[in-house]
Amino acid sequence: MAKRTRTRATAAKRPKAAKRTAARKRSAKAQQAPAAAGSPRLARVAKGRKPRYFADPATDKLLWMSLTLMEELSVTRDRLDVVERLLARKRLVSQTEIDGWVGDAKAAAARSTRRAAFVERMMRAAEAELAEATGRGMPMSEREVVAAVEE
Amino acid sequence: MPAFKQHPMVPQTTHDEQARQDFVSALRGHLSGRLMPGAYQVYAARVEPAFRSKHGRSPKDEHEVRHAMTEDPYYQFWSAMQRRSQELLWESVIDPTERQLPELINRARTLGKRGRGKRRGTLRLDPKLVVPKYHTAADIHLQPGGYHTDFTADDVAAGAVYDKGINLYMGGALGEENNLTGDTLLAYVREKHPSLQLHSILDLGCAIGNSTVVWARAFPKARVHGIDVGAPVLRYAHARAQALGVPVDFSQQNAERTDFADGSFDLVLSHIVLHETSKSALTRVLAECRRLLKPGGLMLHLEIPRGRTDIEKFMHNWESYNNNETFSRYMTDLDLKAETIKAGFAADAVLVDEFAPKLDVAQMNYTEHFLWKILAAFKR
Repeated sequence: MAKRTRTRATAAKRPKAAKRTAARKRSAKAQQAPAAAGSPRLARVAKGRKPRYFADPATDKLLWMSLTLMEELSVTRDRLDVVERLLARKRLVSQTEIDGWVGDAKAAAARSTRRAAFVERMMRAAEAELAEATGRGMPMSEREVVAAVEE
Repeated sequence: MPAFKQHPMVPQTTHDEQARQDFVSALRGHLSGRLMPGAYQVYAARVEPAFRSKHGRSPKDEHEVRHAMTEDPYYQFWSAMQRRSQELLWESVIDPTERQLPELINRARTLGKRGRGKRRGTLRLDPKLVVPKYHTAADIHLQPGGYHTDFTADDVAAGAVYDKGINLYMGGALGEENNLTGDTLLAYVREKHPSLQLHSILDLGCAIGNSTVVWARAFPKARVHGIDVGAPVLRYAHARAQALGVPVDFSQQNAERTDFADGSFDLVLSHIVLHETSKSALTRVLAECRRLLKPGGLMLHLEIPRGRTDIEKFMHNWESYNNNETFSRYMTDLDLKAETIKAGFAADAVLVDEFAPKLDVAQMNYTEHFLWKILAAFKR
């Protein structure tokens, strides 16, 4: 099954050193320690027929992905909250300081560039469709492309 | 809501693993508490009226409701999210289990040897047991690998995943030791049959023994057995019961035909198990219960309600069509009393009862009106 192949490939990439480090650091609370190569891998996909919910199967997949992203965003906010609280407890950075932070021009420019690049990357799907629809440099059909390579 | 109890067999979580489980709880609480009731509202407000104007009548059964509802955008959205929330639930528990699996297996081995004499539980596995098709055809509740898959030698993963998973599934309502189902049947016995003398108890389809332990605690002098077809859940059940200091005898057996002698038990019971079997298995399980009971013994099966109206039946059967509880749809209109009589019990010794739980709507998943169904029968 596909899931087996995938998990085995992931397992092979895991560094052994990471496990040793984690073992050293292990305290009462569990540490982030990726499973070592060769350790048992569990399945992530249930056996059974997967129902379809929307007329277009792509919508099913998009909803699947957006809930996963929502989960990871929630995890990231929780983690950021830990960092902010630890910084405040150690008196390094207070939460008021973060809320009131105003960057200088250089920081603002860097942040703005990064933000724009992120938006551009996320919106590329729509741009590709637009380019195709308006014929800007895009072949009008698959046949056109096939004809070009068969010449 | 009491927090889930961290006994030694529960995998530890890192910050992010815990945050994922917390997210799953929040998501499912919202889906059940806020969005699920909306499915009933859109049915009343537009789906049923549209059906009526097209056909000149209301949907005649649950299936016509299904055809109409699965076309409704609100229902589609809730349903797709409910499905994904179930997958996320297992993923959030599988990650920490997999990461600590070798340690958990070692801990299970050590705990298995703890205790002596009467205070020590036992575990008997049967590698030759054929896991029934109703488990192997599709993973029940979407738990990858189900109750029965061993991913490695002496595996306990299915048990660890199930323990935390079912707690998240009910938004913590199953209790700190997932004891709600056991407590419910125990409360029923105490209320309806207070004078019952129990020396031997058998729990069918016990999985991780979460309900079995409730009975063993309530009747410390009784011999309590738990059986299941899944080896990894039983290894976990044994280690868990040992960790909790509760002696239970677990064995890997199919409830359709066990190796216990005739008339071995005063009480044979199951906790939300019957709907995970099959048409033919159900008849065999009921007949086996009768064989195993002493004269005067009691059979009890706790089951989830299947709905009174067609829209309720449709919503309850979400589990059947979307969560691999395939057999549960056949139980919607099944006459459990007739099935029990068919299995050999006297007609006047069988009762299909209802029993109210103390739950909040955010933990109900598919309905705001929840009554446990209890099948009770005495052996003459």
